[in-house]
Amino acid sequence: MTAAYPPIKQWVFAERVFGNTLDGVRPAGHSGRESGVFWLGTRQETSRVSAIVIPRGAGVEERPNCWRVSPEVFGAVTRWANPLNLCLLAVAHTHVRGAPPVLSWTDRNFGVRVPGVLAVVIGSGGDDSDHHNWGWYVFENYDYSPLSQTEIDERISIDPAGQVEAWTADASGVQILRT
Amino acid sequence: MEATTQGEVSMQHAGHPEVGHEVVEVTVDYLPAPKPFRKAYREQTVIETVRTDAMAFFGVRDSKDRDTHEFFLEFEGRRLTNMLETLQQLLGPHRHEAHFSLVEQVIQGAMPK
Repeated sequence: MTAAYPPIKQWVFAERVFGNTLDGVRPAGHSGRESGVFWLGTRQETSRVSAIVIPRGAGVEERPNCWRVSPEVFGAVTRWANPLNLCLLAVAHTHVRGAPPVLSWTDRNFGVRVPGVLAVVIGSGGDDSDHHNWGWYVFENYDYSPLSQTEIDERISIDPAGQVEAWTADASGVQILRT
Repeated sequence: MEATTQGEVSMQHAGHPEVGHEVVEVTVDYLPAPKPFRKAYREQTVIETVRTDAMAFFGVRDSKDRDTHEFFLEFEGRRLTNMLETLQQLLGPHRHEAHFSLVEQVIQGAMPK
């Protein structure tokens, strides 16, 4: 592993991360399209997710079998995240109802491919709210490997009191999410 | 000043450039990485050198399988496409710092999902 990526043993999620994520992806899911979010935070042995970025609008494709975010959106998120000392810890996206929550070939190869990054697949277009039912994968040894249920219990921790902020992003920049 | 064939300079001398060989302090961010790539370059260094060094630091590379994966540098929100442009040409004569973002572009091949 390159020194650029400290190893991660555990990810800590504020409880609201999952709720905010589902709120963000369900509108597309209910119309039969895939959607997704970025989870950002501090990267260390115990990494804490403290920000959700929901890509929407210019530079984002939400289609029945495809969720894709343009490089320009990644660039906008990168410029925003650095001053806040945030880095990308995970990318979560939905599969539509009827499609299993497993990484497809495209998901594996279009995703971010650096050590320790999580790829999470949420089933039923975001209507499955139990994170144990989602597909959890970590990139290691040049590919994504699934986390077993035991690994999910051991390495994914929920903090009921944790703080999280939700944002939206498009090719023009990142904005705080107004609900 | 200690300069190498790659155009970089020793950081300890970066504040005392020779006349005609100004130094640019370069920072490159990559979204999944917690720390940026930092290096001092001579102003005649081309963008491709910065891109290549940053990719090595972040452990990523251009590749082609079913799809084509390419990394590019963004500067002030603009994708840099002229890899032979020098830092001096990009920045002008009076700027000695440059902050880039490294971003991946995946160009999809022909096969369906």
